[in-house]
Amino acid sequence: MVVTRCVETTLAIPDNEAATARATLTRLGIPLEALERADLYKIEVECKRESELLAALRGIETIFNPNKHRLAVRKTDRPDQGELWVEETAALESDGGTISVAGRALPGVRRLQRLVSWKLTAPGGDPASAATVARAASALLCNAAFQRAVFVR
Amino acid sequence: MSARVGSANVGVIVFPGTNSEEETVRACRAVGLEADAVHWNAPLDVVREYSAYILPGGFAYEDRVRAGAIAAHDRLMTAVREGAAAGKPVLGICNGAQVLLETGLVPGFAGASGPQAGFARNAPSGKFRSTHVYVKLTIPPERCTITAALKPNAVIPAWASHGEGRLAGGAATLARIAAGDHLAFVYSDARGNASEAVVPNGSALGAAGLVNAAGNVLALMPHPERDAWTFNHHDASREAARGDAAAMLKPSGGIALFESFAQAVRQWS
Repeated sequence: MVVTRCVETTLAIPDNEAATARATLTRLGIPLEALERADLYKIEVECKRESELLAALRGIETIFNPNKHRLAVRKTDRPDQGELWVEETAALESDGGTISVAGRALPGVRRLQRLVSWKLTAPGGDPASAATVARAASALLCNAAFQRAVFVR
Repeated sequence: MSARVGSANVGVIVFPGTNSEEETVRACRAVGLEADAVHWNAPLDVVREYSAYILPGGFAYEDRVRAGAIAAHDRLMTAVREGAAAGKPVLGICNGAQVLLETGLVPGFAGASGPQAGFARNAPSGKFRSTHVYVKLTIPPERCTITAALKPNAVIPAWASHGEGRLAGGAATLARIAAGDHLAFVYSDARGNASEAVVPNGSALGAAGLVNAAGNVLALMPHPERDAWTFNHHDASREAARGDAAAMLKPSGGIALFESFAQAVRQWS
């Protein structure tokens, strides 16, 4: 039995990448109240090993530094309103049957996909509309030639 | 930046995070071109005066969002786009090549706006790789003004040094790249034999370099400027030159592309 879990790491300190992306989107005519970025790991893990998963991920210093990151399991494996997930082709991680991140094997993990999540907040504080998310994706956040934009339409 | 912008001057565009401008300027000067490192805060009117542009390697804007994505929208790219449209030679090397694909200037299909292809994470490792390579010219030299002075099927040594160098695009895009003579360079061995085994990054079509439809904008992933003097070389020539400073400092190898680029710049000027 396998379950799918979506684990995200976000910066607890100011995110320069998100700030640069927001400034560029503003210059491109897509002003936002806020833009947040997260690294997402969409993971298929054996039920009986699920409890080990978070501990294993927390032990990988290159993706989780407790001094500057937050790590959490998301409630669903789909984006929320105003959120853009960017999937990259050939981004599945596999190493002869053992799946690893930054050289560390993840016990019980059958499949792992890395994504980037962008959370767009419109001026006024509401989640950005689907139209705004689509514009931001095509203008900057997603190169449709080799990436796929996933969002609530 | 120099005070005078002459007719055969090359603007080597420097974004925050660019790191290969020095050797690129040096390679230009070695083939008789005047070249300046042009920083991102330069006045656009000054940038527009250059006869040609090179977007050198590095990590423009720290590769934030994607390699080349932020730089593609930088203010200075206005001048580069205008220059490309006017027929000025534009060469992008490594990160510069990524920028050119993110702008859509390369492959620059007719009627297309925005990126039509991209340089994605290396496959299968997904990791940064630095290795010596050879690239082979696969188009008739005259198809691209920047390669026009090279011999047919010329093989050029270079260093591949990137984490995102895998040409990626839809099947229709890749077919159009191949059919439209956009595939300027492929990875090969020193004798010019192309095979999957010599491709360092899983690049589609074995692509190392693409040219636009008009033939004046070339995006090349490996660095010829890092193998442009004997002391850079990865073959017996370097050992043969040991103890002979003049031979060791002689431009050769990757300098061939800059010699051809220089011809294009002079012709445009």
